Amino acid sequence: MFATQIHGDNGKMKEYHYTGPVEHKFSPYSFNGGTVLAVAGEDFAIVASDTRLSEGYSIHSRDSPKCYKLTDTTVIGCSGFHGDCLTLTKIIDARLKMYKHSNNKNMTSGAIAAMLSTILYGRRFFPYYVYNIIGGLDEEGRGAVYSFDPVGSYQRDTYKAGGSASAMLQPLLDNQIGFKNMEGVQQLPLTQEKAVQLVKDVFISAAERDVYTGDALRICLITKEGIKEETVPLRKD
Amino acid sequence: MEYLIGIQGKDFVIVAADNVAASSIIQMKQDQDKMFKLSDKILLLCVGEAGDTVQFAEYIQKNIQLYKMRNGYELSPTAAANFTRKNLADYLRSRTPYHVNLLLAGYDAVDGPGLYFMDYLSALAKAPFAAHGYGAYLTLSIMDRYYRPDLTRDEAVELLRKCIEELNKRLIINLPSFTVRLIDKDGIHDLEKLVPVGAK
Amino acid sequence: MRWRICFDVNGSGQFFRHSVSKMALANVLQSESVDFSNYGRQRHGFARGLYEAELGLESVGVDNLSFAVRTACSDGDGPERKIEFLHGTTTLAFKFQHGVIVAVDSRATAGSYIASQTVKKVIEINPYLLGTMAGGAADCSFWERLLARQCRVYELRNKERISVAAASKLLANMVYQYKGMGLSMGTMVCGWDKTGPGLYYVDSEGNRVCGDLFAVGSGSMYAYGVVDSGLKQQSLTVEEACELGRRAIYQATYRDAYSGGQVNLYHVHSDGWTRVSQSDVLMLHQQYQAEKA
Repeated sequence: MFATQIHGDNGKMKEYHYTGPVEHKFSPYSFNGGTVLAVAGEDFAIVASDTRLSEGYSIHSRDSPKCYKLTDTTVIGCSGFHGDCLTLTKIIDARLKMYKHSNNKNMTSGAIAAMLSTILYGRRFFPYYVYNIIGGLDEEGRGAVYSFDPVGSYQRDTYKAGGSASAMLQPLLDNQIGFKNMEGVQQLPLTQEKAVQLVKDVFISAAERDVYTGDALRICLITKEGIKEETVPLRKD
Repeated sequence: MEYLIGIQGKDFVIVAADNVAASSIIQMKQDQDKMFKLSDKILLLCVGEAGDTVQFAEYIQKNIQLYKMRNGYELSPTAAANFTRKNLADYLRSRTPYHVNLLLAGYDAVDGPGLYFMDYLSALAKAPFAAHGYGAYLTLSIMDRYYRPDLTRDEAVELLRKCIEELNKRLIINLPSFTVRLIDKDGIHDLEKLVPVGAK
Repeated sequence: MRWRICFDVNGSGQFFRHSVSKMALANVLQSESVDFSNYGRQRHGFARGLYEAELGLESVGVDNLSFAVRTACSDGDGPERKIEFLHGTTTLAFKFQHGVIVAVDSRATAGSYIASQTVKKVIEINPYLLGTMAGGAADCSFWERLLARQCRVYELRNKERISVAAASKLLANMVYQYKGMGLSMGTMVCGWDKTGPGLYYVDSEGNRVCGDLFAVGSGSMYAYGVVDSGLKQQSLTVEEACELGRRAIYQATYRDAYSGGQVNLYHVHSDGWTRVSQSDVLMLHQQYQAEKA
C-alpha cells in the first residue's frame, strides 16, 4: 500500500495548499484486524477467532478464520497482517512436516511454541506483523496456551486474547476465568461447556464494539479425542 | 558530562579522568576507571558513546600488546598515537564509526614525555595540556593562564586541582571524584584520587 | 594453538573489529552470533530506511531514558497500526554480605495496554547465573538464552564454570554487534563464581559495568531511592536484604504505572541461586498498609 506522507504540521495533508516536499513511502505492512482467543482447561483447550478480514474502512472477506490446525493436539490463532499470517503458518507447517519426517513423531505444543519463538525472532529486524496464540494439549494431556508478541517473546498462560479486540476480551476473561481481585470466590475448575459458552459470549460482546471483529466465530475445541470445530454467527455490520 | 585532562611537564605527564559511568540521567557507577594501560609507559584515556569507549580502547590496547609480543619492543607514544588515529580514521569512514574522544599520554626514553589529544573525528594534536568534555571549555583557559612548561609535579597536581575545583563550581553536573595518574621515566604511578574540596 | 585463532584472525597482524567484539572467550568457543538470514547486515540499505521508522524501532538516543516506555505515536484514526513490543519494567539487583539479591516486577506493557501481569523477568541462565529482563522482552529472552548456551559450551570445553565477568562480557559483545539497529535490552547478570558474588549491568547500548547495586527500567529511579536509603546499615541479614528488595520493587510499582503484577525475588549465594518468593503487589500493599496503621 502506498502512503503519502507530507512533512508539515503533524504530517496531515492540507488539501488545497502547497505543503512542501512530498515523500512517498512504501509500506510492506497492513493491518487486517481480527481477534483470536485461547483458553486452557484441565483436559482440553479452545482456540477461537472471528472470521472477518478487513483493511481500513472496508471488509474484504466475511469467511476468513484465523485458526490454523497444526497437529492433532495443537491449533494456532494468528491475527494482524494477513499476508504475514499466511507466510508464517506455511513456514510452521513446513517445519512440522520436516520434524515428522526426521523424528517420526509429531511436535508437542511446547516444542511448537519454542520453535515459533525462534522463527519470529529470526525476523527481529523486519518482523512478521502477527500476534500469535497457540492452544493445545501438553505432554500430560492438560490444556496449554502460549501467547506471543510479534518478535517472539512468549509465555504459557491459561487464557489469552490477541488481536484487534484483545483489550476488550482480556478483562472479561480475567473476571470470569481468572477471578482476578475477588475475595471469597471458590475457584471451580473450568468445564468445557462453560468455556465454550464464555468464548461465544465474549466474542458477541467484542463484535458489538470492535469494527474489525464480526461476521462469524470459529471455535476449535481440542481434546484427546481430536479437534472439533464449530462456527457461530456474529454481527455482520 | 565526562571529563578528561592531561598536563605535560618537563619529565612527566599527569592525567586525570572522572569516575562516573552514567546511563542517561543516572549514575550507574562511581568508581569507573576510564584509563587503559597500553604499555608500561603509555596510558589511553577514553570517553564518548557507551560501549564504543571500552570496545575501541580494548581493541587498541590488545593490538599494541600484540605488537610488543611480535617485535619484542614497544611502540613509542608517538607511534601509538598515530596507530590509534589511523584506526579511528578508518572506522570513521566505515559503516560502524567509533564515537570516542581520547587522550594519550606516555613517556619515551628518547623524546621524553608526550601528550596527545584526539577527538572522534580522528583529529590528532600533540599538546602540552589538553582536556575533553564540557569541562574543557572551563579548564583550558585556566591552563592557558597558569601553565608553564617547566612546572614541577606538585605544581601540576595543584593546577589539576584548580581545574577540578572550577568544574565543581560551574558545571551543572557534579563529578564526585577523579583518578589521577602520572607517567615518567619509571612508568605509570597512581596518585591520590582528587576530590573537589567544594564538594565536601 | 587455539589462541592463534584469536590473535591473528586473517594474517594481517591486526585484530579486526568483528573478531574483536567476539574476541576472548567467544572466539575460543568458536561460537557465532545468530544468523538473521539476510536482514542483519544491511542496516544502511533499503531495509533500514523503510522499516525502522514504520515500526517505531528507532534506537534510543543518548539523552533518552533508556528503558522508559516508548509509546508509538498514534496517528489517530489511521488504519495502519504500529507494531508494539513489550516494554516497561522495574528490575533491581544488589550485592550484600551474603550474596546478591535480585528482585523484579512482572508487568509487560505494549503502549498503555497491560499485555501481561505474569511475566518471568528473571531469566535462569543456569543454576548459578541469573539474568534480568528490561526493554524488549523478546530481545532479553533470546540473547540470554543464547548466553546460556555459550556458558554451557564453555563449561564442557574448560571443565569449570564460567565467571560472571566473562559471561557478562559474552553477552555485551554479542549485543554490541547489533548496536544502533534497534535492539533494546537492559539486563543485570548476577551470579556467584570463584571470586564471590558477581553483578554486572549490560545493555544494548554497549554498556557493561560491574557494581554493587543496579536498578533498570522505567521504575528504576523509585527503586534506587528506596534501596539507597535502606542499604546504609552496615550488614544486612538475608531476610533484611530480601525485604529491602521486595519493598523497593513494591514502591516502584506503586509510583510507576508501567510496573506491577508480582514481585519475584531471588537470592544468589555460594551454592547458586534460590527462588525466595513471589508476592502479589496487591497483597504486599495490604500488608504494608496494615503495618503503617
